[in-house]
Amino acid sequence: MKILKINKLFIALGLMLLTFSFGINAETIGPNGEKATLSSQVTVSDAMANSVKAKGYTAALLWHDQSDFVNAVTAGATDEFARMGIEIVAFGNAAFDAAKQKSDIENAMIKSPNIILSLPLDPVTSAAAFAEARDTGVSLVFLSNLPSDYNHPDDYAAIVTDDLFQMGKQAADALAKSIGGKGTVGWIYHDAAYYVTNQRDNGFKATIENDYPNIEIVSEQGLADPARAEEIANAMLVQNPDISGIYAPWAGPAEGVLAALRSNGNTTTKLVTLDLSEPIALDMVSGGNVAAIVADEAYELGRAMAAAGVLKYEGESVPEFIIVPAITVTSENVSEGWKQSLNIEAPASVLK
Amino acid sequence: MKLFNHYLKKLNFNTNIVYLGFIIIFIFFSVMLYDDGFLSYRNLTNIILQTTPATILAIGLVFALSADVIDLSFGSIVAVCALTTAVLIQNYSVFIAVPCGLLTGLVMGAFNGFFVAYLRLPSFLVTLATLGLFAGLARIITNLRSIPAVDPTFTGIFGSGKLYGIPSLVIWTLVAVLIAHVVYRQSRFGAHVIATGDNSRAAQASGINIYKIRFSVLVLSGGCAALAGILYTGRIQAAKYTLGESDLMIVIAAVIVGGTALNGGKGSIIGALVGSLLMGMLSNGLILMSYSVSQQMIVRGLIILFAIAISLRNLK
Repeated sequence: MKILKINKLFIALGLMLLTFSFGINAETIGPNGEKATLSSQVTVSDAMANSVKAKGYTAALLWHDQSDFVNAVTAGATDEFARMGIEIVAFGNAAFDAAKQKSDIENAMIKSPNIILSLPLDPVTSAAAFAEARDTGVSLVFLSNLPSDYNHPDDYAAIVTDDLFQMGKQAADALAKSIGGKGTVGWIYHDAAYYVTNQRDNGFKATIENDYPNIEIVSEQGLADPARAEEIANAMLVQNPDISGIYAPWAGPAEGVLAALRSNGNTTTKLVTLDLSEPIALDMVSGGNVAAIVADEAYELGRAMAAAGVLKYEGESVPEFIIVPAITVTSENVSEGWKQSLNIEAPASVLK
Repeated sequence: MKLFNHYLKKLNFNTNIVYLGFIIIFIFFSVMLYDDGFLSYRNLTNIILQTTPATILAIGLVFALSADVIDLSFGSIVAVCALTTAVLIQNYSVFIAVPCGLLTGLVMGAFNGFFVAYLRLPSFLVTLATLGLFAGLARIITNLRSIPAVDPTFTGIFGSGKLYGIPSLVIWTLVAVLIAHVVYRQSRFGAHVIATGDNSRAAQASGINIYKIRFSVLVLSGGCAALAGILYTGRIQAAKYTLGESDLMIVIAAVIVGGTALNGGKGSIIGALVGSLLMGMLSNGLILMSYSVSQQMIVRGLIILFAIAISLRNLK
């Protein structure tokens, strides 16, 4: 119990610190405070790409899970590697299992890849998992998460992730626009010490508080288990039946919020969330509660990871924290948004 | 020649499908991945290291299934015991933390055993419920936080250490399988387990306390899960609430393919070991063949389905 209380204190302090820091910085920063570099500035020139072709480099893509997002990142990385003649010799899916991730890395290392792109499941368990790869000079590029005590540039090429603050800000802008710039809002945030969701959530909150004086956040609810989003939203609606809009931290919980709105017969409260999802997009294009979805450019994220891995291996300096742009997807640009984010056609259901 | 023919006749391919399957798949990968390091000492050792926790879990499940009970909660017990051990190591000696972790697993196994053996509730339903109960406990212990476990003594004994050049996890596999095999095949307890699963009424009539046996195998399963959790923690030098979550299907498949009957009375520790190694070899080989994740899942699923179908068909 003491551990629980201390952890809650740290989470609260962390969130307060992040909130305070946004009052000063209002930009995305890395897990250890790293300054961000836009992915468009991380490129492999055609000349370098041609020289790399002759070197026979190989790469491994070792992911945490399977999803449209991961598929898009893989596509971006694959196309960029193909441009440079780099063969992908191993694919892994840890399915959120830390021991499986270690096994995937060990198996991939048998193929002696020069570059590994991966999403470390969490800082603590991944530190030992990537140690062999790090120590043998493999160019490691991490998606969002960083193993504990890994130092840049010796231990890894870069962390690549979304423009976290901007995603939250764009969600706030979209919600504000949908409710005419005034009204009341509920803020459902990810109740965990995880810089990715923390910065996105706080980006939303800071933007509402700083840029929209006529919008008030009347309810703030933390969410640790996405399965509880519906009951959290129900409570929010009971306490604030005329609430103008709700922010959900990502598509999974947003589906729960949508279910709560529908079960309450609420057709007026607007909902915004992050990360593309077909059910959420379908509601949006059907004129439902969903006003907008803010997504990252996952394909570009994969491209940037591949480029960073090659640059490091070629001895070039690589920014330690790289971010890809955010895009706001509405019913007007759902087709273009899907293509830009995931590099695939939008589901047929949302295009009707 | 006579001796060779004698053993050839004794070797029943129908009931030893796991060994045949292992050999076939091993030869296949050896040929296809000859230049890709499959047969390297490092890769073959990796397969054993990666499958050690699953092998330990499979041992517990063989005993349970042989007694005609099942433990679906072992994955959650893995997580609870891993976290317990990792938390204690931060402030206490390894020689206190590890026994406490083991004891935790035994207690959780006893919890299962009480409901199954003495309240006479179906093991499937009890352990399905405790799967969730223990998983929730794992989440509460550290409020979802991962705990590092970098004590050199601990990681040496239960992770990356070596004894006379042999990786510690390989030693754990060999010792656990040897002890379990001897107990299962040669001891009175093993005979009682098999008898209880084969025909509980007949076993009871012959004086075997079948409830005590069912209780014991669930305690044993809990203990094996605890050891697996400790080995996972030593291997990745950390503990997390998700450890063991994805082991249920793999371990069940390994045990069934290895020749243990789902409805009790028949099992094989060596078969479970080979089944576990087969699962690990499949994962390893398919990654080395550069298959996409989706392709790996399909191929692995088809092979396991085929192997299980033949194993279960021959157990009837």
